[in-house]
Amino acid sequence: MASRPTVTVLGADGKATGATEVLPKVFSAPIRPDIVKHVHTGMAKNKRQPYSVSEKAGHQTSAESWGTGRAVARIPRVSGGGTHRAGQAAFGNMCRSGRMFAPTKIWRKWHVKVNQGQKRFATASALAASAVAPLLMARGHQVSTVPEVPLVIESSAFAVASKTASAVGLLKAVGAGPDLDKVRASKKLRAGKGKLRGRRHRQRRGPLVVYSATTDGKDLVQGFRNIPGVETSPVDALNLLQLAPGGHLGRFVIWTSAAIKELDSVYESKKGFFLPSNVVANADLTRLINSSEIQSVLRAPKGEAKTKRGHVQKKNPLRNTQVLLRLNPYAATFKKEKLGEIKAEGKPTRVPADFLGQLKE
Amino acid sequence: MLPPKEFYLPVCVPISTPAHCPPSIRQNTVKMVAAKKHVPIVKKRTKRFTRHQSDRFMRVDSAWRKPKGIDNRVRRRFKSNLAMPSIGYGSNKKTRHMMPSGHKAFLVSNVRDVELLLMHNKTFAAEIAHNVSSRKRIDIIARAKQLAVKVTNAKAKVTTEV
Amino acid sequence: MSNVSADLIWEVVRSQNAFLVKRKNSGGVQFSRDPLNLTNLHSRKYAGFVNDKAVGVVAGENGAIQVISKKVSAANKPASGVTISTIGASKANRKTYKSIAKQLAKSGYRADLRQAAVARASALRASQRPVKPTPEPKLRGNAAKKAAEKSE
Repeated sequence: MASRPTVTVLGADGKATGATEVLPKVFSAPIRPDIVKHVHTGMAKNKRQPYSVSEKAGHQTSAESWGTGRAVARIPRVSGGGTHRAGQAAFGNMCRSGRMFAPTKIWRKWHVKVNQGQKRFATASALAASAVAPLLMARGHQVSTVPEVPLVIESSAFAVASKTASAVGLLKAVGAGPDLDKVRASKKLRAGKGKLRGRRHRQRRGPLVVYSATTDGKDLVQGFRNIPGVETSPVDALNLLQLAPGGHLGRFVIWTSAAIKELDSVYESKKGFFLPSNVVANADLTRLINSSEIQSVLRAPKGEAKTKRGHVQKKNPLRNTQVLLRLNPYAATFKKEKLGEIKAEGKPTRVPADFLGQLKE
Repeated sequence: MLPPKEFYLPVCVPISTPAHCPPSIRQNTVKMVAAKKHVPIVKKRTKRFTRHQSDRFMRVDSAWRKPKGIDNRVRRRFKSNLAMPSIGYGSNKKTRHMMPSGHKAFLVSNVRDVELLLMHNKTFAAEIAHNVSSRKRIDIIARAKQLAVKVTNAKAKVTTEV
Repeated sequence: MSNVSADLIWEVVRSQNAFLVKRKNSGGVQFSRDPLNLTNLHSRKYAGFVNDKAVGVVAGENGAIQVISKKVSAANKPASGVTISTIGASKANRKTYKSIAKQLAKSGYRADLRQAAVARASALRASQRPVKPTPEPKLRGNAAKKAAEKSE
């Protein structure tokens, strides 16, 4: 792929305005799914709330073991009499109305600290991946109608986007319509108990609109927030959980021109952080292999273009004519003249008597 | 071979379809596309491997469990004991997962899944998932017919009681 | 961008992507729903959305066949990055194959995909033909006898 330092800015109608923006340096960051995945698993845990079963559950009885010698298991048993409960096993995780195995505790390690450098690396990587069309498709975004990736839209086009209807119109005009439809069609009931716990539906994620809080203002947030699947994020607070949902690279990101202009300065202002550089400058393997530098130091291939097989399967000459001919060239004439079908003429003569004697000598 | 139509038509007059044979059945007794030529399928063993002593106790299921006991005679492969599964019973790689028809089964739930088999109708046969309604099965079967894809369970849920 | 190549994308995408269809039976087959995939197999060679140059052969409207190919120069322009040429239903099969082969191999676009593309076009053409009605099953044995009795 050729180096592509600029990106065209589209107008509200989805046509190029003629203006271009220099592509920020973040977009040439290395694409590292391993790091993104790892950081994402850590970060995704940080919104969890503690839960546990009651401390007392399964222990609200004064059961004691009967000890040995009663021909029953040594599990604690409920004391007393006059009820069926008396004498039943208690406490153990294998017992009816016993406590669970390893009761969950609120002091479980719910949150994971992820180093800031790693988070920034992962965010940069996710941003770079959001500019690669095949990765967007692989994530499942419907981007075949999008004019360009990354998709940059003039900031002035977002002025009307404080109303949802006009925000939807804008997204449709720039080719994000199929992705919105996909999200709308994907809404399904969640399987399992999550339905009862405020997570009733699951649906896909649509485009992420990145804006500049200083120049674009926050009015557009209100326009986009009720469109299913669409999320917004200010450019100075980009979040990996939005840029790579599920740890999968390639979120469809729609930039305002002000946001993409600001992106370089956002990364410059991060103290002590330098954008990660690529270990391999050129990742195109075919181009590397076919480059004159590599081809010039390669040894010439040994042997011929076609190698002879070391051993071949033995063929039966009685069945395979070609093999037979190789062994016995006369077989062709023999067959053509039908020598095998000629009947011997006359009666077979008797073996001379002295021949048998000769045989037995 | 049947004789030509004119020959037998006058003899048995009402040649119309018997009432007990609804059109849906007739549609589905299709001779689908044949599988690619392949080496003969050889099953080295067709019996199931049963768990040791599953024949003696109701509570011991016949599903195979490898005996682990130190003295176990099945584990020690004594004569006239149960055979244990081993890699040697494996099928030829070329015929592994093959049905007797020479196809491999591919589970489909919708028409889009069937379309995946466009280029593989000689190696794969569609198998409609159990939770697909009969209305959608009809679409799937119709599309499979266009693509010459064999459907292993084309009759299920679609045919009516005779 | 120089840091992104088809090789890299394939490594990122090969384990999971939106087009991939996995099944547990048949030894874990992997197919792909990618329209730019000629064989529907999940493999580096046929993964059209990954490769810079890729070809798709899909059914068009009214028995037409569409040949989609990617433009190398417009890798990051999804809307304008593909060329679609339509081969009408009236074109003879052999001429269809010839034109596809010409487009792929003779022009040096993706010569390695010629056979797969022609095979797919052929399969599509076969699928676009009207489906023959299934012949009536011939009754055999007792069923045949019963039917004969009934008809008499």
